[in-house]
Parts: sequence; structure tokens; C-alpha cells
Amino acid sequence: MNARTQVSLKKVRDLVVETLPQSTLKSKGEIIFGPDGALDSLDLVNFLADLEYRIDQVFGCEIVLASEKAMSRNRSPFRDVDTLSGYVVELLSE
Amino acid sequence: MNAVRIFVITGTSRGIGRGLAACFLKRGDVVCGCSRKPATIKHKNYRHSLLDVADEKAVVKMIRGVVAEYGRVDVLLNNAGIAAMNHALLTPAAVARSIFATNFHGTFLFCREATKAMLRRKTGRIVNFATVATPLRLEGEAIYAASKAAVESFTQILARELGQTGITVNAVGPTPVPTDLIKSVPRAKMDALLARQSIPRFGSIEDIVNVLDFFLAPQSDFITGQVIYLGGVTG
Repeated sequence: MNARTQVSLKKVRDLVVETLPQSTLKSKGEIIFGPDGALDSLDLVNFLADLEYRIDQVFGCEIVLASEKAMSRNRSPFRDVDTLSGYVVELLSE
Repeated sequence: MNAVRIFVITGTSRGIGRGLAACFLKRGDVVCGCSRKPATIKHKNYRHSLLDVADEKAVVKMIRGVVAEYGRVDVLLNNAGIAAMNHALLTPAAVARSIFATNFHGTFLFCREATKAMLRRKTGRIVNFATVATPLRLEGEAIYAASKAAVESFTQILARELGQTGITVNAVGPTPVPTDLIKSVPRAKMDALLARQSIPRFGSIEDIVNVLDFFLAPQSDFITGQVIYLGGVTG
């Protein structure tokens, strides 16, 4: 991972945390979706839609988070803050 | 909903889409249209995107552009559609794929992206375009009718998935309207089709707008997942 990506990862992580409903983080740690996750499916849809727009605003990239890449993984990229942040960086690097 | 509504209408270069865009522009709304052909509408409140509705990246870019410029999407009308009248056994696979790409995948992509914008404001109206060809089981329109049956099913399920969001999703099923889409259909065939409607005449843009006005009215926030056919055709 190069320096630029590392900076991006921190920025992306901050953005993910800022976009998540704050009550969510307090109650459920950093697990977003799935078993013990803080969000139900409708909350997740809302959150991902918000996150796409914020990524567009901050990074100027029109990414779609629910991509084929996301759906084909054994482990959901939406599972927790770190996994999601890494996944977003991956999409931004393409 | 604001007094000036922000519309996204697909397939606005001709036919029904062009007529709908003209109607809502005349009423003072903003219309963001698209088609594979250049704009045929010039109006201060009209924006045009040159795109294929089945092109995911282009659809994302268009909707994000509308939100960047106007801050919201109030109404999505998924009008873009293509047809190819032919016996099912004489239909090339590429033609079937192309019809599904425009009629179903295009509708799906615009619904998905517009919904993301609407979710942020917890309000919005989506109207998809079905057809009487589906309930009438029209011979020669198997692929077209099947693609629109997919649109109906999608409309009804999306309406349920968005039931708690303030966004309604409905469909209108027009009868034939004299546009380019049906200009190559033989007159005798068209007369036979019209005869199967309860009210045997061509539809008009105004007939469609009448149904749209009902779905788009603020008081219609309890109306979702419905398909209304024109001409007295029943599902």
C-alpha cells in the first residue's frame, strides 16, 4: 500500500464513521451489518446511499458500493467500519 | 414537495417522453431528460443527458449531476422503451437482450439511483411505464410484453421495499399512443388491438398525464405498488 492510499484509507475511514448514525457506533461498536450488526437492511441502504454521495463530494468519484465485486465476496464488505473502509479505498483506486 | 418539482424523465427525444417533458415544463417544473439521441427540446428549465439508459455509469453520472445542480430528485418517470413486433420464434437473441436492456435494466438503474437521492429527503415519486400488451397477451409482442411484465413485478416489489421511506413506486400502462414506436405496425393489427380495449381508441399524452397527476399528487402518499392501465384494460 503506498503513501497516497494510506492517507486515503484514513480519510475514507473518517468519512465512514462520520456518515454512520452516531448512536449506531455507541451501541454496537464498529459492526455495521450482519450478525450483531447495528443496521437493518433498510438502514444499510440509507447509509450506503449517503456514503456514496459523500464520497462523490469529497473524492469526486461516482462509485457504486453495491457492485458485483461486493456481492461476490464471501465476507460482506459492509460488515464493519474497517472492512468497508478498505473496500471503498479499493474502489477508489480502480 | 416543493412548488417547482425536479423531474427526471427517460426517453425524452421523441414520442411520449417528449410530450411529457413539454407538459411539465409548461407547468413550470424542471425536467432533466435523456435519450441516446441529442435533445429535441429547448427550454430554460430543461437539461439533457445523452446516454443509453442501460449504461450503469452513465445513469449514475446523470442522477448525481441532477442532485449536484438541483439538490434533489422529486419525480422519476421511467418512460424510455423500445419494441420490436415479431413472432417469438423469429426474434434474434440480440433483439430480445436489447429490449430487456432498455425496458427493464434501464428502469431498474434509474429507480436505484433516483431512490438513493430521494432517500435523503424521505420523499419522492417514481412512475414506471408498463403496457396494455402485457395483460392483453398480444401475439407478436412476446418479448416487449415480457420486458414490461418484469417492470410491473419490479415496481410492485420495489414499492414494498420502499414502503417505509416516503417514496412511492407505481406504474402506468398506456394503450397505443400514435408515436414512432407504433408507426410500423399495420393498421389492421392496430385496429384489432384497439378493439380489445373497453374504450377502443388511441391514447393521448393527456390520458397519461392524467394518471401521472394522480400518482404525483401529495395526497397520493398512500398509493404505491399500483399499475393503472388506460382504455379499460384490466390486469
